Amino acid sequence: MTQDARVQEFVAAFEGLRAEVEKVIVGHREIINHVLVGMFAGGHVLLEGVPGLGKTLLVKTLSESLELSFARVQFTPDLMPADIIGTNIIVEDAEGRKHFQFQPGPIFAHVVLADEINRATPKTQSALLEGMQESSVTVGGISRPLPAPFFVLATQNPIEMEGTYPLPEAQLDRFLLKLRVRYPAIEELNAIIDRTTHARPVSVERVMSGAKALQFRELIREVPVASHIRDFASGIVMATHPQWADAPEVTRRFVRYGASPRGAQALILGAKVRALAEARYNVSADDLKALAAPALRHRVILNFEGEAEGIDIDNLIAQIVEGVEAATARGKEPFLR
Amino acid sequence: MAHSETLDRLVRRVAAQVRRRRAEHHAIRGAFWASLPAVAVIALKGPIGPRAVIIAIALVVAGVLVGAAWGLLKRTRQSDAARLADRAFGLEDRVATALEWAERPDKTPLVAALVDDATARVSALSPRTIVGRIWPREARFLPVPVLAVIVLALAPPVPMPSGRLPDFTPGGEEEEKEARAGSGELEQRSPRETRDKLRPPAFEEREFAARSGAASASTAGDLSAVFKDTSLSSQRPDFNSFLKKGDDRLKLLEQVDRLPDLASDFTTSQYKMVFKKSKALAGGMRPNDISPKKLKELLEEMERLGRKGGNWNSEVGEGMDALEGGQTDKAMEAMQKALDKMRAQEEAQRGGKGLRGGRDNERGGSGRERGRGEGGGADDQDFGDAEGLLPGKGKSNSPKGEASRRLQASPYDVGVEGESRRGRKDGYDTNMTGRGGQMGSRLQYLGVIGQYRKMMEDAITRESVPRDYHSQIKDYFQALDER
Repeated sequence: MTQDARVQEFVAAFEGLRAEVEKVIVGHREIINHVLVGMFAGGHVLLEGVPGLGKTLLVKTLSESLELSFARVQFTPDLMPADIIGTNIIVEDAEGRKHFQFQPGPIFAHVVLADEINRATPKTQSALLEGMQESSVTVGGISRPLPAPFFVLATQNPIEMEGTYPLPEAQLDRFLLKLRVRYPAIEELNAIIDRTTHARPVSVERVMSGAKALQFRELIREVPVASHIRDFASGIVMATHPQWADAPEVTRRFVRYGASPRGAQALILGAKVRALAEARYNVSADDLKALAAPALRHRVILNFEGEAEGIDIDNLIAQIVEGVEAATARGKEPFLR
Repeated sequence: MAHSETLDRLVRRVAAQVRRRRAEHHAIRGAFWASLPAVAVIALKGPIGPRAVIIAIALVVAGVLVGAAWGLLKRTRQSDAARLADRAFGLEDRVATALEWAERPDKTPLVAALVDDATARVSALSPRTIVGRIWPREARFLPVPVLAVIVLALAPPVPMPSGRLPDFTPGGEEEEKEARAGSGELEQRSPRETRDKLRPPAFEEREFAARSGAASASTAGDLSAVFKDTSLSSQRPDFNSFLKKGDDRLKLLEQVDRLPDLASDFTTSQYKMVFKKSKALAGGMRPNDISPKKLKELLEEMERLGRKGGNWNSEVGEGMDALEGGQTDKAMEAMQKALDKMRAQEEAQRGGKGLRGGRDNERGGSGRERGRGEGGGADDQDFGDAEGLLPGKGKSNSPKGEASRRLQASPYDVGVEGESRRGRKDGYDTNMTGRGGQMGSRLQYLGVIGQYRKMMEDAITRESVPRDYHSQIKDYFQALDER
């Protein structure tokens, strides 16, 4: 198969998945794209939005369109780590002898929906950490690999803070992208009403297998990135650090901690998927700009002044990207050098 | 794999355009900077002669040529030209990436497809100029020297000034004749010079004689005009006394405590004014170091204020007596008593009008009505019942307690039990709600204030407080201090 054919196959798969999800989900084109970007990049995605915007439905529909196992975990304050990972239970064999047998938890599915993840205690949240990072979990001293591909989609509600346990920065960093699900426009709302109150339910077809998804992940890593694009990504991530010598003024004033190197990885990987989804063989600066907010908004921590001033993290990142773009070798700079 | 010739050709074409634009850019800069000496040369065409115009033109041309050569010779990197082409033709970094990755040993299979794709897209492009002209900053100012060169070239030669600086050394016969033929001023000076040629004129004579002018009737050495607006005008001219007088005035200005503080509004409160001055007496010093002079001045001022209806004149009188007897401590005590009376009188006059009901009312009424402790009475707490934010508190049914909120999870949940005071000064009135407001204080007021001040200072040092809040916090404690 030629490279061109491989890329075209990926584009078709991407479009097909999106079409299936859009059968159910109205609007949110960008959110759907970014969820698929996260999935093909091999990362995990955190969806944040008020109740009723279709976050859970989106994930459920996506899982239905994949030939992959799916598990949904509703996080609550009394959920225990063993409820997610699984536990050893005593079983009796045919001869009457008792022994421990591992009963896998829902994390042993390909696609795991962690619904309202911030309602569980930090102890339970941390049970996901090893699985998300290492694709394996350890129970009773035995490390057990998770199925591949393994993809966690978590949702959280930003307005109900009472009785919630906000995810610590270490866990947030393990999500490749954080997406903000916004309220639909009136036309989209009308379409939602028409579609969801219809008598005939929409059926979603399975359009991609797990093996294919893994093949595409390999293909994505082959997408070349030019050095000036890589420098641009590094510049954006470094510019989120207030201690950096060339950090812009907004960062120095409003940011406490900047993005980690995982942020740069997320930026580049996401940009590669976006490029390939547009049938492009290379990453462009526009890919990075489009992915900057989803990849960095949960990795940049505002300081007290930023919180008190009500700084919107997306606006802050947009300003940082703009500043870095102006400062790096773009525009008139090559001409005057 | 060698990259496509099409891509190379595009990059070369763009690089050539860049060099051409650079040459234009730097040629204009060169023209501007060369035109400045050209103006000078043209201005001197009188002494230089007709060659000046040729030299000026040659300078400008040389500037243009040097600038253009500099622009042409500057190196244009292939990657820069490729990125410029990518942006200009909307190629989304295809050319730059293809050129960079085509030569790399670790290239992936997709690179070949990328090069083919980039080549196909570049082949479909129609060649055009993509590098715009960038005018240098000097281009705006270039017409000025150019116009100056043209005008000066056409105009007659500028007459050069032939005057020389006055020569105070003894001159020859010719110079002496010139001086005699000069103005009346010079006539006055000439006899002196002729009287004693070898002695240079004294400093005062040389300076002020020239300033007095020919019309002045004063003789050389009469400096009364200089001191016309001073008390020295009638005295014998003495420059040292003039300086001394000036020094005395400067010393007066240095006594800043006597100057009015224009930053404060002293009309609002007599007490505050006197209080500030009393703080200045003891501020940072040992009691023995208090200036009796300053203390006396303060007591006099308090006495003056007391004559307008104050009841602290007896204390002021005691203080004055003690001060005259050299007992500064007693004088300070008397001053403090007078100050207390002044404050008490001012509080009574204010009668709560600036405090919106006064503190007592706040305790019993509005403070409770704010809805904190709806039960009222002795069960009132300063902040109402705990909402279960901390484990073991409140109404939580959870055996482990409710979830702890993370630091700064929400910036809006930190309440200050107080409100901005309107009226005499920007500040805050804290409301003593709850049980504490209904019983007598059992703590040293200053001790509590000091403790909180220290906590405030620690907090400000440790935490990131918005800049605007610094002044508010400072004002708050300043307001407490003054009360």
